[in-house]
Amino acid sequence: MYIPFFEKHVPSDVIAAWVSVIIIGIVLATYVIKQNKWSVIWEYMRTTHHRKVGTLYMIFGFLFFLRAGVDALLIRSQLALPQNEFWLFQFQKYNEVFTTHGTMMIFFAATPMLLGLMNVAVPLQIGARDLAFPFLNAVGFWLFFAGGMLFNLAFFFDSAPAIGWTGYAPLSTSLFTPDVNSDYYVFGVQISGLGTIFTALNIIVTIFRHRAPGMKLMRMPLFTWASLITSFLILVAFTVLAIGLYLLMFDRMFDTKFFNGPDGDPIFWQHLFWIFGHPEVYILALPAFGLFSDIITTFSKKRIFGYPAMVISIGTIAFLAFTVWVHHMFTVGLGPLVNTVFALTTMAIAVPTGVKVFNWLFTMRGGVLRMTTPMLFSLGFIPSFVMGGVTGVMLSVSAADFQFHDSHFVVAHFHYVILASTILGIFAGIYYYFPKITGYQLNEKLGKWHFWLFLIGYHLTFFPMHITGMNGMPRRTFTYDVGEGLTATNFISTIGAFLMGIGVAVMFYNLFITIRKKERVGSDPWDGRTLEWTVASPAPEDSFQPMPIVKEMDPYWYAKQRGEDLETTDEKLASPISRDSIIPFIMANLLAVLSFGLMYGWIWLAVLAGAGVFMCFIIRAFRDEREQYYGKGEDGHESV
Amino acid sequence: MNQYEAALFNDKKFGFLIYLFVEAIMFLTLFATYLIFTPSSEGPHPSDVFETKSVILSSIFLLSSSGTLIMSERGLEGKQLKKLIPWLGVTLLFALVFLGLEISEFYTYVQEGYTLSTSSFLSSYYVLVGLHAAHVAFGCGWMIVLFIQLKRHIPHSLYIEKYKIFSYYWHFVDIVWIGILLVVYVRYIF
Ligand code: HEM
Ligand SMILES: [Cu+2]
Repeated sequence: MYIPFFEKHVPSDVIAAWVSVIIIGIVLATYVIKQNKWSVIWEYMRTTHHRKVGTLYMIFGFLFFLRAGVDALLIRSQLALPQNEFWLFQFQKYNEVFTTHGTMMIFFAATPMLLGLMNVAVPLQIGARDLAFPFLNAVGFWLFFAGGMLFNLAFFFDSAPAIGWTGYAPLSTSLFTPDVNSDYYVFGVQISGLGTIFTALNIIVTIFRHRAPGMKLMRMPLFTWASLITSFLILVAFTVLAIGLYLLMFDRMFDTKFFNGPDGDPIFWQHLFWIFGHPEVYILALPAFGLFSDIITTFSKKRIFGYPAMVISIGTIAFLAFTVWVHHMFTVGLGPLVNTVFALTTMAIAVPTGVKVFNWLFTMRGGVLRMTTPMLFSLGFIPSFVMGGVTGVMLSVSAADFQFHDSHFVVAHFHYVILASTILGIFAGIYYYFPKITGYQLNEKLGKWHFWLFLIGYHLTFFPMHITGMNGMPRRTFTYDVGEGLTATNFISTIGAFLMGIGVAVMFYNLFITIRKKERVGSDPWDGRTLEWTVASPAPEDSFQPMPIVKEMDPYWYAKQRGEDLETTDEKLASPISRDSIIPFIMANLLAVLSFGLMYGWIWLAVLAGAGVFMCFIIRAFRDEREQYYGKGEDGHESV
Repeated sequence: MNQYEAALFNDKKFGFLIYLFVEAIMFLTLFATYLIFTPSSEGPHPSDVFETKSVILSSIFLLSSSGTLIMSERGLEGKQLKKLIPWLGVTLLFALVFLGLEISEFYTYVQEGYTLSTSSFLSSYYVLVGLHAAHVAFGCGWMIVLFIQLKRHIPHSLYIEKYKIFSYYWHFVDIVWIGILLVVYVRYIF
């Protein structure tokens, strides 16, 4: 269809998207008006409370997960049959779809949902009343939101990037992709990445400085440990990525010569990208490991086996994560010595990972197992992840990688590891923490349906891809030929993908009916072990008054065992100061507007938005939420 | 500062330290970029481009601004505004002079035909030094805000907090400049 504003033909999927978004928008607006929910929206736009910010992270992460999942189904539909022409998803469109799928899954779905769970659970697990910097926390979330929205906008203007989630130069430079498409990638990822860095910083300060009395580092629950170490990974990895994107932005906008031209070096982009990209895999996996540890201990009614080993292995994995990035670049010609060194460091990661797997198994051994939905997801994770680990060791043999590289074998491998850890972890986390977030408990029966459909679909999708890949199917290609022996495996993969889709639909239905039923649960629906189960569900805004005193690991569990209440103290520790504010929302979205102006060369818009961002800085400096608490003498904090 | 405020200040200090760690990684990555691309096989050699005089002058102003800031900080504890205000003013002035020198330096280079897109050496030079200059400019704005805060009679303990955080920032920006001097300029000037 030809639409004047776009000045080119608009493909039918874009039109379909516009139409459906407008319809959904109208439906939502009527709902909001009818039910008079403006106050709730306004409240969440201004909130700085960790549970609410965490909820926002979950909601928008999940929304983007759905979008990226629909993209996955489109990819799989196109690949279902040889020489298929499904709708219009061939050629360039296919490139756009897998780029969007990969980028969204990593940056706008998996990472934010994990940050959301951290936001909800970490303060509660350590007895803190909020994250250390509530205002900054809101800024972090809205930056993610603004970056994600900007990235999503690309599709609606028929300008989705098509450079892969890795944005490899020189394809991503203006030499080969001069249109705005790649700019959406650069700016969208950059803005949300900034938010991720701020949130990580916040988590670190919170964990180091706001633990309840007696909560020593070696008494912390493992999810908190994982969050702490992940946050350090984020600080380094996302910062390197930010600089990579910054240089790419200069190449694209101001014609600098980093990644193309006679002196430019595309391999330098690969180094910067993978110094970020590999640790990112652990940024996704470690928090999930933490969640599984907590869930498995809870539902085995046993203490975690080998707690110090668990902590040390998280740290070791995190350290090694920065020593292996070249295994993504075995085939670019860095030489046998470099390849061998990085092959060995890669294989070394299997050791601490193996330690964790055995500790999970030993935790369950002799325990009283309860097969709840979160536990099922954790159990489903272990063998699935181990399978991904095995193919990982295969890929780390650099000589063999020349065969596997850029084939569907790699696609199978990384989905096995990321999906098994991150996505199953997030699902487990959602079921586990849903009571703490909303006060309701999700339906267990539907949860099990969700689990089985998803797990079976997952293996059905990705297991055949190993074979497809070894039979020679390259990744990032939109079709294959009839006689290549790829038809059956591809077709099975597609069936599996739709099964997963049905699983997620079941979960949606579950969310829907649970929220409608409004059946409250108590503070401790799972018979939990750690401090988060001592506060009401949903977690109140002034939790931990008075403060619990922690004398051992899993303090709540042992208190329950002894039939006592947790000891508490009235001691007043300085707690984070929060005050609702609309500034984070405005500031982050203005940053997206600024990027939009730069991308389209509307300098006036960029300048206005930039000035607006600085105004937000200044206004915030003059309306510091600490102002009312300072200068009041020793007990100034009690006056409010 | 009472105990409660001190604890919150420690949060902020710790958080800001981590933030500076992030900035340090940013600059380290840019230093690495510069080292990789300099000198480039194409285009001018660094020693043809850099001008000794403006580098020395701007360094003197920026580095001594760390000293003047320390002088000003001495007036913080006892609320001795007579010490604080003039020295902070001098710091701001030095920073502005530095910015002026940077701008004229860039301007001269561009006039001579050495632009951002001339070669990968110049690209990495402008990106690194430019980002540092942007930090100085931001710091100037921050100092102006600090002046206005003084007029607003916010609790003195809060003012101390804001001022100290700024001073960490400012010293950090100076340290980065020393890195730039060593890595970017000195090797090609002397
Ligand atoms: C939910 C079911 C999913 C299905 C059916 C699916 C399917 C696929 C397929 C078929 C490809 C290969 C496209 C190609 O190379 O031509 C792909 C690529 C990719 N997927 Fe998924 N995926 C799913 C979930 C996920 C998740 C949860 C993540 C990460 C958290 C993820 C991350 C990626 C990445 C990073 C790529 C590479 C994109 C690129 O090459 O630029 N996927 N996916
Ligand atoms: Cu890797």
